[in-house]
Amino acid sequence: MLTVEGTRAKRVPRPHSPIRESSSTRPSGIKRILGFAWVLPALVLLAVFVYLPLVQNLGFSFLEWDIYSGSQTFVGAENYIKLSSDPIFWSALGNNALYAGVSIVFQVCGALALAALIESVRRERWRRALRAVYFIPSAISLTVAGLLFYFIYEPNLGLLNYVLSGVGLDALTQPWLGQESTAMMAVIAMSQWQGFGYSTLLFAVAIQRIPSELYEAASIDGIGVIRRFFTVTVPLVREMTGLMTIVTISGAFQVFNEVMVMTSGGPNNSTQVLATWLYRSGFVRNDFGYAAAIAMVIFLVTLIIALAQLWITHRRRVEW
Amino acid sequence: MQKRDSLAAIALVMASALGLSGCANQSSTAVANVGAEPEFSGTLSILTKFAGDPLQPYFEDLAAEYTELHPEVEVELIQETDQSIKDKTKTLTASGALPDIYFSWTGDWAENFVTGGLAADLTGVIGPDTEWGKTFGEASLDAFKYNDKYFGVPLYNNGKFMGYNKAAFEEAGIEVPTSFDELIESCGPLREAGFEPIAFGNKDGWPGLHYLQQLFAYNVPAEVLQADFNPESAKLDHEGYVASLEQFKTLVDECTDSGDGTNGVLYTTAQEALASGSAAMYYQEILEFDTVTAEGNELTGENFGIFKLPVPAGAEGDPDAIEGAPEGYLINAKSPRAALAVDFMKFVTTAESAKTLSSPPYGQPSTVLGAVTPETSSVAVNEGITQVNDASQIVVWLDTVTVPEVADAWLAGGEAIISGSSTPEEVLESVRNASNSAK
Repeated sequence: MLTVEGTRAKRVPRPHSPIRESSSTRPSGIKRILGFAWVLPALVLLAVFVYLPLVQNLGFSFLEWDIYSGSQTFVGAENYIKLSSDPIFWSALGNNALYAGVSIVFQVCGALALAALIESVRRERWRRALRAVYFIPSAISLTVAGLLFYFIYEPNLGLLNYVLSGVGLDALTQPWLGQESTAMMAVIAMSQWQGFGYSTLLFAVAIQRIPSELYEAASIDGIGVIRRFFTVTVPLVREMTGLMTIVTISGAFQVFNEVMVMTSGGPNNSTQVLATWLYRSGFVRNDFGYAAAIAMVIFLVTLIIALAQLWITHRRRVEW
Repeated sequence: MQKRDSLAAIALVMASALGLSGCANQSSTAVANVGAEPEFSGTLSILTKFAGDPLQPYFEDLAAEYTELHPEVEVELIQETDQSIKDKTKTLTASGALPDIYFSWTGDWAENFVTGGLAADLTGVIGPDTEWGKTFGEASLDAFKYNDKYFGVPLYNNGKFMGYNKAAFEEAGIEVPTSFDELIESCGPLREAGFEPIAFGNKDGWPGLHYLQQLFAYNVPAEVLQADFNPESAKLDHEGYVASLEQFKTLVDECTDSGDGTNGVLYTTAQEALASGSAAMYYQEILEFDTVTAEGNELTGENFGIFKLPVPAGAEGDPDAIEGAPEGYLINAKSPRAALAVDFMKFVTTAESAKTLSSPPYGQPSTVLGAVTPETSSVAVNEGITQVNDASQIVVWLDTVTVPEVADAWLAGGEAIISGSSTPEEVLESVRNASNSAK
């Protein structure tokens, strides 16, 4: 009898010691130079457009920079010290964390459950239609979606309050984006709507890769739908789950567009996230050195997440 | 992916802008000669605040006419909106790519360009004693005066007024209020008559600052207010500030339908509420008068009236002050075509161009003397500009008169007052902290 345990995925063995190149297969000097020449343009582009700005940004974070006169004053770690005592920075960091938490619930857990549900539909035509329906919001740009939801949330003319009033729930009508208590969640909700379908589609693809024999075997053993989901689907899409978790968290710390379009960080800075606070510090408050320090924090957070992503995906590679 | 792209774009723009500025500032040390004979060739770049209808064609038409007169000259227009021009200007400044002519507000905004050596000294060509300078009102020229030198070409004047629907007032049986208390009392009858008393949208934060600055001018003595704009001399301890914040909160709670949710409403939505006849009042700039009464709107020019925000009882400031400021253009001090830029701005401010600018559909009251008349401008624009000219003083917008850190604290404070999350005392404390940190 084939059990779920019996189907446990095998780890891919780590590559052992690299194969020693024989002198006959080793490229000659000219070939090596030619090879280097081929990758040189890409390296130059990468250096100029990725690493140079990064290094420059690190330098700027130690400066007080007057963009009007061009004067630069080295202030050491002052911008970083200011960060530590800036309540808006911490509130922005908290908003990013909240964003990440909600996104994991909806765009990882929720999307996985929905993908499993869609893939359990018998007819292929319906499965395709459902995938398309859920994916459509992801095809809309975040800026457009932000504007659309701005009008949905509008307190006097918005669709949401209109519908709530229409079904007799007047007590629940709110100025969704106009008050500190609801603004951040309203922005996050829009973002979930926009990103949910994309995650669902990725999970659907991962589920399709699971051999149908495993589900058939589970059915023969009398395992119900829910248990089948937790004992077959979830373990076998864990690579995708890990990846989606990392990508979702990383994305949550880089969120910018939707907040700018819907609230610009207000009211009273309650929806500031790191990227919008970076923008406001630089382009509104003229404090470019401080903005650069915030940029370094975002970089560090996303770097750590990216490294974790590499480590997890390497460790969790499975095959069957 | 979009999130990654946008963040990467910000980082890249910021880093490259700042990086390039280092190069630009090191290499561009030439000082513009605005008094030289212009050479009519090359490309003249201009950053305007006239993007979108109905203003966009104004500079386009002028550029076409100028090119017709001087075929060797090409005019490159960069047209931005009121909101986007702030970011655009700073990005161009940081990257050392300011155009030959660029838009500027007065106050701290323009002063940054002057002290940074990015605005050409125009005293010799537009000073009050010069031929060109004599065509402008002196107060308008003074708005761009720093250290006794003139740096800007004022294009139009502006001021803030309460615009109202006369028919709504008549239906509600009320008169134009003469005090702040009367204004608040008028909201009940207007609501009973089926109108939103005052339409207000503060999604962008600055509309709230406009109310606050006018109330500060009424409640805080002028010399105290001026000292408080500068972080070096600011004390921000006059009781007029708390009184103003309380009055502002009363107005929001008593007179707007959106109340503590006003931060979620766009100012254009509020503008539309007056234009469509659903709201009785909307606090607006002169520049908006012809927009709310444009053809096709429910509100017509005949039914549209204006009055100054009424003065609160017992206010210790200047009851005759009006909030507003001219807006104009600076000439890049490092422009190799500065003389040509001056010639173009002279063309923009001829009597004929000034009348066109002051007339519908533009409705921007020109600073050129004699341009705004009952014949050229709408009744409301003419009345507004007359009141601005008669005012004891013009108080510059709060978000451009003081340093950005303090302006930003006032902006967040205004939003907090509307939503009720902070008391006036807490808001004042946060502004004081911002001012202290900006010293």
